[in-house]
Amino acid sequence: MKKVMMGNHAVSWGVRLARAEVIAAYPITPQTQVVEELSEMCATGALKARFIKVESEHSAMAACIGAASTGARTFTATSAQGLALMHEVLHWAAGARLPIVMADINRAMAPGWTVWTDQNDSLSQRDTGWLQIYCESNQEVLDSTVQAFKIAEKVDLPVMIVLDAFYLSHTYEPVDVPDAAEVDAFLPKRVTRYKLDTNDPRSFGALAPPPVYMEMRLRQQEAMEEALRVVDEVDEEWHRRFGRRYGAVESYRTEGAELVLVVSGTIASTARYVVDQLREKGEKVGLVKARLFRPFPTAAMRKALAGVPHVAVLDRNISPGHCGIFAEEIRAALYDLEPASRPAIHGYIIGLGGRDVKPENIIDCVDRTREAARSGKPTPREDVWVGVQP
Amino acid sequence: MAEERTASDIVHGVPPIAVSSTSTLANRTGSWKYIRPVYQDMVAPCNAACPLGTDVEGYMNLLREGKVAEARDLLLRENPMPAVTGRVCDHPCQTHCNRALFDDAVNIHAVERMLGDLEPEVRQPVPARTRKERVAVVGSGPAGLACAYHLARLGYAVSVFEADPEPGGALRYGIPEYRLPRIVLVREIERIRAQGVTLQCDARVGGSLAWKELESYDAIFLASGARVSRPLELAGRSVADVRPGLDFLREVKAGERRTVGRRVVVVGGTDTAVDCARTALRLGAEPVVVCQGTRADLSANAEAIEEAIREGVRFEFQVWPIGVQTSEHPEEEEPLEAIRTMFAEGDGPRARLTGVECVRMRPGEPDPSGARRAVPVQGTNFILPADTLLTALGEEPDLGFLPPEITRKGYVVKVDEYGRTNHPGFFAGGDITGEPRTVAHSLGSGKRAAIGIDRYLRERAGEAVPALETQELRLGGTGNLSITRWRGDDPIRRASPVNEVVPYDQLNMAHFAGVPGKTDRHRSFEERRSSFAEANLGLTTNEALAEARRCFNCGVCNMCELCLIFCPDVAIKRHPSGHGFSLSYKYCKGCGVCVEECPRGAMTMTREGL
Repeated sequence: MKKVMMGNHAVSWGVRLARAEVIAAYPITPQTQVVEELSEMCATGALKARFIKVESEHSAMAACIGAASTGARTFTATSAQGLALMHEVLHWAAGARLPIVMADINRAMAPGWTVWTDQNDSLSQRDTGWLQIYCESNQEVLDSTVQAFKIAEKVDLPVMIVLDAFYLSHTYEPVDVPDAAEVDAFLPKRVTRYKLDTNDPRSFGALAPPPVYMEMRLRQQEAMEEALRVVDEVDEEWHRRFGRRYGAVESYRTEGAELVLVVSGTIASTARYVVDQLREKGEKVGLVKARLFRPFPTAAMRKALAGVPHVAVLDRNISPGHCGIFAEEIRAALYDLEPASRPAIHGYIIGLGGRDVKPENIIDCVDRTREAARSGKPTPREDVWVGVQP
Repeated sequence: MAEERTASDIVHGVPPIAVSSTSTLANRTGSWKYIRPVYQDMVAPCNAACPLGTDVEGYMNLLREGKVAEARDLLLRENPMPAVTGRVCDHPCQTHCNRALFDDAVNIHAVERMLGDLEPEVRQPVPARTRKERVAVVGSGPAGLACAYHLARLGYAVSVFEADPEPGGALRYGIPEYRLPRIVLVREIERIRAQGVTLQCDARVGGSLAWKELESYDAIFLASGARVSRPLELAGRSVADVRPGLDFLREVKAGERRTVGRRVVVVGGTDTAVDCARTALRLGAEPVVVCQGTRADLSANAEAIEEAIREGVRFEFQVWPIGVQTSEHPEEEEPLEAIRTMFAEGDGPRARLTGVECVRMRPGEPDPSGARRAVPVQGTNFILPADTLLTALGEEPDLGFLPPEITRKGYVVKVDEYGRTNHPGFFAGGDITGEPRTVAHSLGSGKRAAIGIDRYLRERAGEAVPALETQELRLGGTGNLSITRWRGDDPIRRASPVNEVVPYDQLNMAHFAGVPGKTDRHRSFEERRSSFAEANLGLTTNEALAEARRCFNCGVCNMCELCLIFCPDVAIKRHPSGHGFSLSYKYCKGCGVCVEECPRGAMTMTREGL
């Protein structure tokens, strides 16, 4: 059944179809409508979940941790400062191996005060042990939200679904809402090995001294590696049942490309348009969309980019003092390629704080990359800031 | 779940999460604590403030639970006349209500009134006559009726003797219809009669009733009231004909008087003075109340003063009469319908009142006790025109009928807190003792005497009596005596009660939302000026029930479950009986969150092992 809905409600519908049992959240623009819609669904009984109102995002995640520890399917959503406030308990959720699903509506970090999009909020949580999936369309948001529960519960790790503020969160698009019974078949009730049980009380999260702590982190890392396989497996099953798939990394018109753009989030849809136009003119330009950021799909990224002479990475984020975060990660992932097949990486910082990324901005990146290729100068380590005032 | 934890969960020598490999039952959280919470009911300030020793908090809680009949029964345990006190009591309960420090005090008296007015639909069972002793009660005012009521409920045969033709004493004759409608009193007296109390009117001790006859009873409770009005002294004038305000009230209440003249001056700051002025107003007069002190100094109920002023009564504070003005031709100029107030001028003809000469007063120098008696301000004399002068300077008891061996203290009978006189078997209460002159105090003194008489008769019969200190019978240690505690049959189950009042700062206001109090509805002032219909209309039943829900239930567990909700160790469960909670000290780690969160101070922390 097709419905026209905003990205925030696509999240809500995904959570409803996944039959989450506990939702604890604190409102923040641009995330608010996600939980507003869910609270309605809970109130009307359309979703039989316990909706817990809390006084902060830290409490929201703490409540989710408690609920997930009892075996409940658990969800929350937030943005920017709210996600930052959760930071401490994000580690806890992952370390306790709780399959919590969260939607983060990408919003730039203040100050200056802002509600508009960029990825610094979610990328700042890179090392908390959460899976991160970046979405391009409202359809992908709904599909990824449902997938996230299955992935999370298969590997006992929390998953963050990430979508751009306003470009997705408040933008209406037609979305195919899968049949509930079909989703139930795809995503059965959560089964858990370890949960709080008053009949068999155990100590959870207790002291782990040096002889065992490292092994626990190793197991977490192994679960992340397993997640790489599970993300693909779940995506394939989704495709079998519902006819749509996304992949950890998507290559678009990269055949014989001399230059490949690497982007994430909604910039991908603008970049597709640019690539189509350039291809029409016979220019050998392709696109790679980075969807899965954690665990980092190193093998898939290498496969997508090996042998491409020049890669332009457009980062809607910045690691101050270093460079764009996707560019940094991709450079590291490709470093071990044979020099002959290792692309030159050109980094661009673009669209921070919700600044529009227009086709001409992307063409500007292509031109600059070509210019750098022509001049033969070594790839600059510092990224180029696109469209900034001189 | 344990079965599912197979060896395969152990990889690299560790489970996937930091979970203990063995049960934690060996080290229950309860073993960590050195202090523990306990449920401990305390006393709400309203209960301790009530001159009647009513369990106000208790009936509020029962109403909150929807148990209206139970609430009424709990109230009737201590107070036989809630419909009366709900109307005329000063309600110190409300003055002391903790909620007054939060938003508005609970409108307790209106709730009490609603419960009192539930009669006659719901009747109490007549108590069984289990005692062989007979008790005589002299006087059917609030003290006498309360004593008779409680004694009857304790199983005694009680006879009440009333000198007047109708029972009720000051309730019947002293309180105007617009404050206490006759029908309300009649129903309350019926309630008391229904307990098996015998009432005999027109029985004046020393008159139709011989003192000897009284002495044949096993115990006597004297409560003949105070109805001798204190005289007004005006220098150089005989004022024998000045009408006492109490008589005026009585005549109006009895239907013997329907007029009073136009210019009425009432002297005094008592409740009687305010009642006289408001009554005169309703008879078409323009009353002026003259009082020596400031408004705050008056003994009259502050709300009644406010009502009187709003109805149109004029008060002259810090003013006192020093003489009268009279007419030389009394018969010709007598204003229609004034109370005939005549003054004898030496041996000459009696002159008619035309005005009262007054002087302004100010506080004088402090006397050795620190009190500042009012003194006249020279040169401030003025004349208040008057057709009628009423005095309301307070009343004293007539103790002439009492045997001389009963000890007096000043002009009242000397008694202890159980109403015991120096003479065994003789008890006294109400206005003939030093009891404060309110209906509630009189009802309370009658109840205390009932406890005293029960103790006396049971000890005389060689029976065991409850080994209770007076302090233990007092609500909160300082309030009135509780007959429920004396009887030992409190229907409210209390968790290790402590006889202390719970102060506001022991409550947790985080759990209450501000809800403005509902004040009584009143008849319009226009309507009141020409009618004796009840001025205060109270609250509707639903409004009163809503007020009951505003009660904090200070100091008493009302099963709000916040302790259970907040306990981080799930150590608190509802008690299987449905009342109260059971606290598992195996799991309680003594964090004190429950005590901190308890909205009403009904929990406390104690040291381990105590």
